[in-house]
Amino acid sequence: MIYNYLGNYSLVFCLIFSLIIFFLCFKSINDPRKIIEKNIFSLLFLQLLTIIISFFSLIILFVLSDFSNETVYNHSHTTKPIFYKISGSWGNHEGSLLLWLFVLVLFIFIFSLTSKKHPKKYRIFTIIFHEIIVLGFIIFLLSVSNPFNMNYPIPYEGLGLNPILQDPALAIHPPILYLGYVGSSIIFSSALAALVQGYVNKNWASHIKKWIIISWIFLTLGIMIGSIWAYYELGWGGFWFWDAVENVSLMPWFCLTALLHTIIVLEKRNILKSWTLILSIATFILSLGGTFLVRSGILNSVHTFANDPSRGIFILIFLFIIIFLSVIIFFLFQIEESTSRKTFFLSKETSLIINNWFMMYFLSVVLIGTTYPIFLEVLTSDKVSVGPPFYNKLLIPFLIPFFVVMAFGPKLQWIKTKFSKIKYTNFFYFFISLAASVFIIRYSEAKYLFSTAIFVTSFILLIKTIEGFFEKKNNFSQKLSHFSFSIFILSILLNGAFSTEFSANMKQGDELNINNNSIKFINLKTLNKNNYKTVITTFEIKDKQGRILKFNPEVRIYNQPEILTSEADIKSNIFSDKFLVVNLLKDDGYFNVRYQVKPFMSWIWFSIILLTIGGILSFFRKI
Amino acid sequence: MKKKIIFLTLLFLTIVSHSISLEKNNKLENKISKNLRCLVCQGQSVYDSQSDFAISMKILIKNKINKGESEKEIYEFFRTQYGDWILYEPNLNKNTIFLWIFPIILFIFGGYLIFRNFFKK
Repeated sequence: MIYNYLGNYSLVFCLIFSLIIFFLCFKSINDPRKIIEKNIFSLLFLQLLTIIISFFSLIILFVLSDFSNETVYNHSHTTKPIFYKISGSWGNHEGSLLLWLFVLVLFIFIFSLTSKKHPKKYRIFTIIFHEIIVLGFIIFLLSVSNPFNMNYPIPYEGLGLNPILQDPALAIHPPILYLGYVGSSIIFSSALAALVQGYVNKNWASHIKKWIIISWIFLTLGIMIGSIWAYYELGWGGFWFWDAVENVSLMPWFCLTALLHTIIVLEKRNILKSWTLILSIATFILSLGGTFLVRSGILNSVHTFANDPSRGIFILIFLFIIIFLSVIIFFLFQIEESTSRKTFFLSKETSLIINNWFMMYFLSVVLIGTTYPIFLEVLTSDKVSVGPPFYNKLLIPFLIPFFVVMAFGPKLQWIKTKFSKIKYTNFFYFFISLAASVFIIRYSEAKYLFSTAIFVTSFILLIKTIEGFFEKKNNFSQKLSHFSFSIFILSILLNGAFSTEFSANMKQGDELNINNNSIKFINLKTLNKNNYKTVITTFEIKDKQGRILKFNPEVRIYNQPEILTSEADIKSNIFSDKFLVVNLLKDDGYFNVRYQVKPFMSWIWFSIILLTIGGILSFFRKI
Repeated sequence: MKKKIIFLTLLFLTIVSHSISLEKNNKLENKISKNLRCLVCQGQSVYDSQSDFAISMKILIKNKINKGESEKEIYEFFRTQYGDWILYEPNLNKNTIFLWIFPIILFIFGGYLIFRNFFKK
């Protein structure tokens, strides 16, 4: 009970502090006294403190299963394991927004700590713009999504957390993804501040680059964890569904990745200033717009767990204010592009610009694919679905030139590269790639010409990135990231080309033969767990070589809320994942069984982790 | 003896060819059900869903494949029954023309902007 008040009132205090900081910042712009700056700093600390208190109050409420709190009542249950009680506190709308706010305030505090050697006014303006976002979120929380609403009379039992959310991957997925999203808010406010102060230069670029990398790392990891979760919990072997909510997280990623490359051009050559700013602003707007799309519930998605239209409208208005604000500032404060030397076609700049060109294309495909059905329905009331075939058709052909540029781009020099520097070994690489691709295509059922092209280019990319490790240029993080990206692409391609699957309805004792494999349904047993009942089945799969693998996929029947989930049994090794999942059928004793062999599955996850390690190394790199 | 061998080979061949076509049908069935939306679910394909609707859809798809209908005919059947919403690959018509070409237009426009701003000075 007490924690309800504690959490609620510290949020109110957070609002008050935010207003005071706002006021002091404006005062400090024309007032050179150091003391105001110090006050702002201590207020930022106090603000952080209030939000920590508020956040931990919510966690304690969840741990105590205090159903006098509406959020706890709606999303928790006494029989839930303690771990999911804690993670449940951010697994819902109100709590996740509180977490968002927490990260917002934490980041601006860290920003003010680490930016001391930069001009004072630039820092102050960043704080001003950031506090606008903070204010928006506090008002949002207090008005339409307060996590500390009270229930009266106090219920004895809660409604429980959706069982598919009761999962370790999904417990850490929101915080990590939010670190990525919210990191983009720092980039946003600092870009606007730099624009206002005319501080868009090399110094700013190398300073904000760190924040870009941080957000990028967390966003990448966050998307990956969500995808892993979908793979074993939600999907029947798929890991990316081109589902609207997944797309929403991918859009800022494209933008951020483009920004990650552009900022290098700005840092090294002092060009592309406006473009960098546009990307910085766009990344945050996409993050915010994504939140709107997910939270408003206008998307039809597997991941829609809670939504409420009135919240959607609030975020929509807030989104428009932010867009309006940034557009006005962008046109009010023109930036002078430095008139530096001419850029030649064969140069590093060109390849980085081409990277941006493609990233923007990928972004536009995903953005249009995700939002088009919404607009169409509003305008014509016709409903269309945009699914995987659309994205595959529009994205994959463009990957071919993209890989080529990615393979050769990093080898080019700034400003100008002589054509004669391109070596003949590349022809050799081309033929190796071609041979490898033809070999692969023969054993798969992919379309000939098109798949060959995509395989050839991705093999060339792989070879060129490996070659990069033997070159003298000291940029290990970039090499590692590009190398892991090529591994990532190849694993996805090979996975797509060689995955096999089989599904059938079976009952206990049945045995089936498919492609020299035999599947045998041995037995099943029912167990009662704390918050669910489970049916554990045992299968034996004998492969071509006669090796026997045992699988124990489960069907769980959760008590609160009553939901059936299938827990796949996955046997992973270096080369492939074997994936068996069962589902209860209405006919007595029959189960729907789906068995899949998915090659290079763990390579996909491994390569993404390696990719982010590249990012981490780049973060700690000097210069 | 000879007859027996011929008979056995024929039997073997029919079983093999049957199982091959079965496997092929299973593959086609999976492919089609992946491209159809489960109408009663939240953003799941027929393939991914285990709802009653999806299960009966899968049976329907299987029957249609066994009848020898082509992939296109099956999509067209579902489209006339349930509307465009059920297809994950939107048909190209006046409603979706922009969906398909707008990204391409943007790509070309982006290329033009890059060319104008960087190389034509």
